[in-house]
Amino acid sequence: MTEPPAVAGPDTAVSSEFAVLASGEQIATAAAALERNGIRPLLAATGADARGLVRSLLADGAEVYNNTSQTLEAIGVADDIERSGRYQPLRLRLYRMDREMQRREMRTLAASPDYVVGSVHALTEDGSLLIASASGSQLGPLVSGAEHVILVMGAQKIVRDVATGMRRIYEYCYPLEDARARRAYGVPSGVNNILIVNKVVTPGRITAIIVNERLGF
Amino acid sequence: MSMFDYDARPVTPVPVLVGTTASRGAYAIRDFLSRNGYPFEWVDAGQPEAVRAVLGVAEVEPSALPLCILPVGSRLAAATVERVAAGLGMVAAPARSEYDLAIVGAGPAGLAAAVNAASEGLRTVVVEAVAPGGQAGTTSMIENLLGFPNGISGSELATRAVVQARRFGAELLLARPLAGVSADGPGYVAELSDGTLLRGRAVLFASGVEWRRLEVPGIDDLLGAGVYYGAGPSEALACTASRVVVVGGGNSAGQAVVRFSRYARQVTLLVRGSDLGASMSQYLIDHLSAIPNVDVRVRTQVVGLEADDRLRGIIVRSGDGSAPVQMPADALFICIGGIPRTDSAAGIGLATNTAGYLVTGGDDAGDPGGSWPLPREPLPLETNLPGVFAAGDVRYGSVKRCAAAIGEGSMAVALVHRRLAEVGGD
Repeated sequence: MTEPPAVAGPDTAVSSEFAVLASGEQIATAAAALERNGIRPLLAATGADARGLVRSLLADGAEVYNNTSQTLEAIGVADDIERSGRYQPLRLRLYRMDREMQRREMRTLAASPDYVVGSVHALTEDGSLLIASASGSQLGPLVSGAEHVILVMGAQKIVRDVATGMRRIYEYCYPLEDARARRAYGVPSGVNNILIVNKVVTPGRITAIIVNERLGF
Repeated sequence: MSMFDYDARPVTPVPVLVGTTASRGAYAIRDFLSRNGYPFEWVDAGQPEAVRAVLGVAEVEPSALPLCILPVGSRLAAATVERVAAGLGMVAAPARSEYDLAIVGAGPAGLAAAVNAASEGLRTVVVEAVAPGGQAGTTSMIENLLGFPNGISGSELATRAVVQARRFGAELLLARPLAGVSADGPGYVAELSDGTLLRGRAVLFASGVEWRRLEVPGIDDLLGAGVYYGAGPSEALACTASRVVVVGGGNSAGQAVVRFSRYARQVTLLVRGSDLGASMSQYLIDHLSAIPNVDVRVRTQVVGLEADDRLRGIIVRSGDGSAPVQMPADALFICIGGIPRTDSAAGIGLATNTAGYLVTGGDDAGDPGGSWPLPREPLPLETNLPGVFAAGDVRYGSVKRCAAAIGEGSMAVALVHRRLAEVGGD
């Protein structure tokens, strides 16, 4: 993929239509739709409340993989997972592995955690979740590898439909994410894979926590 | 959620260690953190821009090195392993004052004992001076352990064993060596280096072995500056495109060669003996012979070092009587072993053989029966002190293989039960 130029700054986020919190009615509509689709919706008034919900959902001692997520970092969930000592944080375990000698162990460990905790790029009012990924490594566990999936999202991520969600990914998330990737890793990001979860066949496997705050992007 | 999970690096802050590459103290901390699987960032104090990025100034007073910036932001000047461990919350107090079994050492034997003891309801504590895994913990890939057809790294095996032991309720006390053991009624009291006391109704020494020191002039001055005992994972990346020399003929040395061959330009294995097969598993010998950048030299030993502020080369002499020759080397890893770790047991009078290995029931190397106080014979794996057992590499007569250590550690628990039944309360 040709490397696109970095295009976004923080101002983009503030001015965008996609940074506006959904109304209470939209949140309720999306939550009801998620439930119909087999995804357990939980509502949190604040990030602190969401953090408490995540804590209540994670079993002590479980293998937990936290996806890179500004939402999780902002509300303290990343800290809880990586540093509380209550869980087995797989990021730390993977990071210390020898990429030359332990590639196979890394692949299997990352593919099937007890819990994956992350966020989404869009939630539609009819209960679909949209997640974009550059490498795709985050998507396998979300779809089927992880035993449990917990997704925390600010209410600004609620959009009317999948088409609007796609526009949110390309027009809003991608430029911000590309800037982040260049800052953090020195490489560009890319909308190379998109996961759309319309319905799950194992009800309750995925929990979606909608927070009535603007979190992440 | 971010679209890019670049390399699974932690998203929360990690400790930053600033030091010189030639610093022994900095190496000790790097090794400690690596072996404990604690992610950290290393900043070479000789790189002004890198130092400025983390400290805001380009230079650090040499007396302040190594300097550790903890995730909470506080700084430890002239940091030591003990202070870093405490600063990172790795030093825990024991939850109980008395345990059914106190295990010394968290290598394969100690961890196997911990899993089996705790799973059978024994109140179990493990004391470990450095990091779980022992010598096996630094092994890049163990390919002959039952149940792991694709192999498993020593660190991953240790991680899983620790999780398993803790799940059954065993406690692990890290980063503090055992200072001594004394008798206390039918049981024993173990004292850790920080003064912590643990009472154990039975004690298992699974303290393993240390690498044997290489007797070469000037070698101590280069520890951490190109010369290393063991082959800890912290240095593997630093060996990229380097010329690495590994000394030793055992499986640990062979596995170190395999690991470094993935990074280094050239890896040379020096073996004093003439037959590698006498000490190394055949699968490893076969593996080494198939790696193009690996050179194995038997009947060869290191007799000298060349260095400025760090190692630059070695002098080797072969057993054919030819003159010593110089060999360029950026790093020298010494994996010859070992010396049994029994210092902390010396004061209580544990019987050892002439090489210092703990003698246990049925051994013919020592005479544990001479001071044996009970009418019964010592149990297998029981030392000359009733209720003190030994398993794994530290025990005289043990087979120096990971699976054997696991077997001994597991077996020891059944014998501990018999001892506890004898003194009552089991």
